[in-house]
Amino acid sequence: MLEVKNLVAGYGTIPVLRDVSLTAKAGEILLIGGENGAGKSTLMRAIAGFNKPDSGEILLDGKAIGGVAPEKVAQSGLRLVLDGHRVFPELSVFDNLRMGAAARRGDRAGFNNAVEEIYSVFPILKEKQKLYARDLSGGQQQMLALGQAFIAQPKVLLCDEPSMGLAQALLPPILAFLRRWAQTGTAVVIVEQHLAVTAPYADRAMIIERGQVKFSCLASELDEKLNAPAVAAE
Amino acid sequence: MLSEILIIVIRGIAIGSIFATIAMSFNIVHGATNIFNFAQGNMFILGGFAAYFLANQVGLGQWSLMLLLTGLGIAAVVAVQGYITLLPLRSSVEQDSWLISTVSVSVIVAALLMITQGPFAYSVQSVVPSFRIFGTRTPGAYALAIAAMIFWFFALRYFLRRTFIGLAISALSQDFDAARAAGLPVRRLQLISFAISGLMVGTVGFLVAPVISVSPDAGLKYVLNGFVAAVVGGIGSNAGTLIGGPLVGVVAMLTAYKVGGAYQDLASLLVLVLILMFRPQGLFGRVGARRV
Amino acid sequence: MQATANVQTGPVSMAETKPKGRFNSDLTQVWIGVALIAITGFGPVIAGNSYWIHTFQLVNIYIAAAIFQNMLFVDAGQKSFGQGAILGLAAYVAAILFGLHGWSFAAAAMGGIVAAMLGGLLFALPALRVQGFHLGFVTMSAAIVFPQLLVTLDKWTNGINGISVTVPALTNPIVGSMSLLAIAVAVFPMIALFVHYGIRRSKLGRMMFVAALSPEAARSLGIKPGVMRFTAFIVASIGTGICGILYLPTVAFVSPQGFNIELSFVFFFAVVVGGRGQMLGPIIGIWIVYILPNILLAGFVEYRLLMYGCLTLVAVMAFPDGIVGSVERLRAKRKQTGGGEQAFRIDGFLADLQAGKTVREPSEEIAVEVRNGTKKFGEVVAVSAVDLKVRKGEVHGLIGANGSGKTSLLNVLSGLSRLNTGSFMINGVDATNMAADRIANMSLGRTFQAPRIFSQMSLWDNLKIGIDARVGPASADMTALAKAMEKSFGQDSATLLSHGQRRLVEVMRTVLKEATIVLFDEPAAGLSQSERTNFANLVKFLSRQMGKTVILVEHDLDLVWGIADTITVLEQGRVVSSGKPDVVAKDPAVQHMFVGSRHA
Repeated sequence: MLEVKNLVAGYGTIPVLRDVSLTAKAGEILLIGGENGAGKSTLMRAIAGFNKPDSGEILLDGKAIGGVAPEKVAQSGLRLVLDGHRVFPELSVFDNLRMGAAARRGDRAGFNNAVEEIYSVFPILKEKQKLYARDLSGGQQQMLALGQAFIAQPKVLLCDEPSMGLAQALLPPILAFLRRWAQTGTAVVIVEQHLAVTAPYADRAMIIERGQVKFSCLASELDEKLNAPAVAAE
Repeated sequence: MLSEILIIVIRGIAIGSIFATIAMSFNIVHGATNIFNFAQGNMFILGGFAAYFLANQVGLGQWSLMLLLTGLGIAAVVAVQGYITLLPLRSSVEQDSWLISTVSVSVIVAALLMITQGPFAYSVQSVVPSFRIFGTRTPGAYALAIAAMIFWFFALRYFLRRTFIGLAISALSQDFDAARAAGLPVRRLQLISFAISGLMVGTVGFLVAPVISVSPDAGLKYVLNGFVAAVVGGIGSNAGTLIGGPLVGVVAMLTAYKVGGAYQDLASLLVLVLILMFRPQGLFGRVGARRV
Repeated sequence: MQATANVQTGPVSMAETKPKGRFNSDLTQVWIGVALIAITGFGPVIAGNSYWIHTFQLVNIYIAAAIFQNMLFVDAGQKSFGQGAILGLAAYVAAILFGLHGWSFAAAAMGGIVAAMLGGLLFALPALRVQGFHLGFVTMSAAIVFPQLLVTLDKWTNGINGISVTVPALTNPIVGSMSLLAIAVAVFPMIALFVHYGIRRSKLGRMMFVAALSPEAARSLGIKPGVMRFTAFIVASIGTGICGILYLPTVAFVSPQGFNIELSFVFFFAVVVGGRGQMLGPIIGIWIVYILPNILLAGFVEYRLLMYGCLTLVAVMAFPDGIVGSVERLRAKRKQTGGGEQAFRIDGFLADLQAGKTVREPSEEIAVEVRNGTKKFGEVVAVSAVDLKVRKGEVHGLIGANGSGKTSLLNVLSGLSRLNTGSFMINGVDATNMAADRIANMSLGRTFQAPRIFSQMSLWDNLKIGIDARVGPASADMTALAKAMEKSFGQDSATLLSHGQRRLVEVMRTVLKEATIVLFDEPAAGLSQSERTNFANLVKFLSRQMGKTVILVEHDLDLVWGIADTITVLEQGRVVSSGKPDVVAKDPAVQHMFVGSRHA
């Protein structure tokens, strides 16, 4: 579904990613971990079209999308949820969800169903649907940002640090939602630092270090791999 | 004496309503693109010329039709201008080019008017009758100016808060990256905001043509005063322009009354400098940029 | 025509074994410009053609004004649409004093220049607070208002009728058919060119340029951007004022019509069409923008505004570098040096510096101390009641997750933002309320996440900013280092440097500045593994060989654990752990930070 081959990218003159490859398959969650500054966000932004790759290929359903403008990428079915629970603060909760429909063509009924589904998963959003998004808590804003992406029904969902700025306890319901979402046939990529919490929800995992893929494995083997003696430093 | 001042204040508010509408037209483009269209004043004057050529001494029916056509025509012109202005911003790192290109478009429009119409001020008959306030005849177009400001304020409010496209334009000004990630058609929305700004100044120019100097060099005066109104109200705040515009208008009229008509623009310049020195975010603006 | 020959041969006089192309052709352009002005200024006089004499006198005055516009617009980054009003102000004040009040021409000229300076001051004041389009509107408004005032204040200005003057002493021939005025009008634009070139090559010019391109980088180098803008406006208005003084005897008449906004647009457009920032730009620009419509196509003179506008629009769309700029870019592309692996290496320089130095250990003295510091952004508490002590000569690592307050703390220490409560001291001096430039002048230097390298300047000039920012005289070591670097990088471009090299340039800038405390903001981001190793060595060198105090905000924990003497861990704005690396590594509060690697 999403295939990244030998990606080299950065921002401005700063190279961040060196030769990164990955695949995300429909119905699966790929978890990407790594330290701060390892290049995870840059990877997400490069795939979504915000940073132009210096070299390498990004294929969505076999179609090259490297260097395509982010709004076009979104319209062709790949949706990035930016880190830091970014919503439109001066728009109401419902209007924020409406904006999700920009990357989805037509069908009013589908939109209504999707909104109802979001409201049933996150009832708090329904409760606050008339409030400005700026009045939500960080966790609620993250739900809203995901809800907006859900409305678009993308083929591939990239989710950059859904835990950023949230209390840890809020993460499991969000991850559970992503799990169910993936099972409907969406390819989901989650970038997270809280690996222990996230790994049980993921199928496969990949660790990035200093802009390069350190290793990838099944999510269930992640813990074991991380604690392997191969990485004893001092 | 008192009633004289009152009349001046009312006229100031009316003239200021024009500035306020121009300021709102700045705001919508600036929100969506971070561009300030220096040509906006001449687009406004184009509306005045349209009134002279298309709707001078005609019936209400034809007048209304021409108002609509003028608005749409100038909306198209400004959209084309916006397209040209946005072109170099697409790829290059050069993000200042709009300053130069909108100024040169402003000069081009004024020059075209000068060449085709000469340096004269055209007078346009009002279709709306004058009315009396405190015993003084007041041109009907003053009422139209205030009505247009109020109309555009509420129209924009409705558009930006209720319609999908309007909401999307608001979203663009609130978080540009998040808007792109959501798949909002950025370039199209920016062009629409240019077109709306053209629709606004085109119709207002048409409406107030009887009480302004419809001449090729008048555009600069309006772009300047519109900008002062936007700054006084706080850039980005349409509600602010409702105060900022009339304030600038009243200052200009009082200056004309007390000091002399030739000092009107000087008064606006002084207001601008004072605000920028002591309250650059405007009287009602919030500190700090909204865009993340 | 030696000057023109220069441009083709390019590098002519490089006293080096391996000749390099010049980084820029500024000096060549100046000489071509001088030649062009000499031909147009003196040629018609010698030929005795009075039409061309008069035409080119005016053209050359406008060229001088456009040269100052160019300096103001590009070197100082100030977008003024009102330089025509400054010129008119000088001309009018001089005309009033000389023509109506019988002052001597010299005294009237002085009065005119003073008036121009006051006008420039009026532009500079708002420029202290706002930039960009705000300033564009202010200056444009001034240019609209100026002729209106000339008409209205007819008591003093003669209003619409204008003022006629004759200055026979200046216009009568002294040598052959050459008058004093003819000489002055030809020489002044040449002087303007040299002034522009001189400023650009000077410390002031570099500081102005940095302030225009990156105000925060400027402040962290001890430069006050406001002072730079102010200076630029004053210099430009004196120069433009002299143009106004020359205008007076040349045209022998001033009227409000002559100084409407069109004149300001001509100067601005000339700079854009000719090539922003190019020495020769204003000359070619005025020739095209002014001569083309007004003289060559004089039959269509009413179309001139249309031509100004269209030429400029086409220039911005099709060749944004302008005419001279486009030519220069082709030249620079061909001649550019300074790329590749070897473009910027400092090992050799460091080895020279190292000779005869003993290894120093961190002292117990405190270089930087934060006491109970809190920094809030609205509701968000970025730095919360932080206590921090950094010893002189140590490498102090600041680590923590995104948003933990590291960069906020760094910005507080470098003065770019201020603590809400609490205080901090640098070398025992309370610096809590000091502006960034004052802190920088207390011998503090910093780097930025995205290196502030300016591609418009040569590699050496990028380094030289550090020397410009130094307080007090240079040590012998540094003088030698500067000499060696100038020799190596004098004509190199900074454009082709890799990110890692840019980072090094920025570090070397702080070394040349002789900062004793250096703050690094995520220096390893974007560096390859070998570059990281080199960087770690460089930091050790700065600390142990040069005795500098280093504060390092960094995500790469291996790097930090490898070089830091002390590590402080921040979490949600608070210090959760601080101490020697091995102690901090065992602290349970920080265990979760390590993903896929361990330091215990």
